[in-house]
Amino acid sequence: MFRFSKSVIARSVAAFALISASTAGFAFDHFKGVGRQATPSEVKAWDIDVRPDFKGLPKGSGNVERGNELFEEKCASCHGSFGESNEVFTPLAGGTTKDDIKTGRVKGLSSGELPQRTTFTKVATISTVWDYIYRAMPWTAPKSLKPDDVYAILAYLLNLQEIVPGDFTLSDKNIGEVQKLLPNRNGMTTDHGMWPGAPAKKGGIGNGGIPDVKNTACMKNCKTEVQIGSTLPDYARTAHGELADQNRNFGPVRGTRTLGAEAAKPAAAANPALELATKNGCMACHGVNNKIVGPGYNEVVARYKDQPDAEGKLTAKVKAGGQGVWGSIPMPPNGHLKDEEIKTLVQWIMAGAK
Amino acid sequence: MGNPMKIRAANKDGVTEVKALISHEMETGQRKDANGAIVPAWFITELVAKHGDKVVLAAEFGSSVSKNPYLAFKFKGGAKGEKVVVSWKDNKGDSRTDEAVIG
Repeated sequence: MFRFSKSVIARSVAAFALISASTAGFAFDHFKGVGRQATPSEVKAWDIDVRPDFKGLPKGSGNVERGNELFEEKCASCHGSFGESNEVFTPLAGGTTKDDIKTGRVKGLSSGELPQRTTFTKVATISTVWDYIYRAMPWTAPKSLKPDDVYAILAYLLNLQEIVPGDFTLSDKNIGEVQKLLPNRNGMTTDHGMWPGAPAKKGGIGNGGIPDVKNTACMKNCKTEVQIGSTLPDYARTAHGELADQNRNFGPVRGTRTLGAEAAKPAAAANPALELATKNGCMACHGVNNKIVGPGYNEVVARYKDQPDAEGKLTAKVKAGGQGVWGSIPMPPNGHLKDEEIKTLVQWIMAGAK
Repeated sequence: MGNPMKIRAANKDGVTEVKALISHEMETGQRKDANGAIVPAWFITELVAKHGDKVVLAAEFGSSVSKNPYLAFKFKGGAKGEKVVVSWKDNKGDSRTDEAVIG
């Protein structure tokens, strides 16, 4: 699936030639009597890859009908007669529309309509399919197919995919035309950090090694405390039984107790307003039903409940502090509390501090 | 009219094996779309395969059959060059008939 631009290929081929010319002598100097230069025919036997610009593609041709016969004989036992089988491997064909052939981007991949990805919904270069069949198929006898067989089988697959008609003959001459009809031909990007080389606009194929992830270590204005974004509602806590028994009893992470007496306790304490009041020191001076240093919340409610805008008055008092209403002991200002926290607390108090 | 079926039929030792890939949405009527509205049921109810005038397979399909179903069956008889005809009807009244030459 390597889509190198032509200039990069030209450069890398040139570079490779230089290196092999210069290192050949070098290697033999260091390992006298060990090995020998690979002969051109040996290199040729290894060098079977077919590239997206069809470099390395053997000449030949094959039609859909012959491909059907070959497919039935050699491929259908695993892939199904129509390349539809999902038993051994994912399906080869299906999942694309006529529109996809026009746009070159399989819509089902992004819209989520696709129940199952297939080879032709994903592959961007027809050379890749040719290369893969030629080098790796059939599973039990790889490299047993002749180039003409591969053309025929590929023609059959393309026909299954409704890219080419039933009387089509695929050859090294027209494979480039077929590439222009591939449903997901525009579906591959190389603008990712894992691709080597310079950014695409500078003639490379990658993005210069910029990672895809955007995680940065926090160096300033970091969050000081953990904020719990969401929790299981109470009724769902026991949906999976005792979570503590389902987690490892070593290491930093434990399951919470969801059953039994212990589980009842945190559930009772699960009162965010009370927790807020406790955390911010309100409960040190104010009792729910009794006076401590300042008035109990019940007393506050009794005094303010009939006043209009009690909430506004209390909010102002909590924020700025106050003295005199309940005696001489002052209440310190609470500027460190956020407005919505004060609002939560005041509403909670006025509702009876339950 | 639906999309064409892909049908292959091959005779070997007096037995014809027919394979068909049927192109149909096969909506169960249980699924909901992104707005929460139920996608109406739409599935093949009847399927008939004929060799000449003889019915070799008659099937009642339901909503439990997959999208784009694959069907394979064998029947005794048939000879190279003869035709196998497969046709279906769905619950919206749509139907489709396709044929294949036995190879």
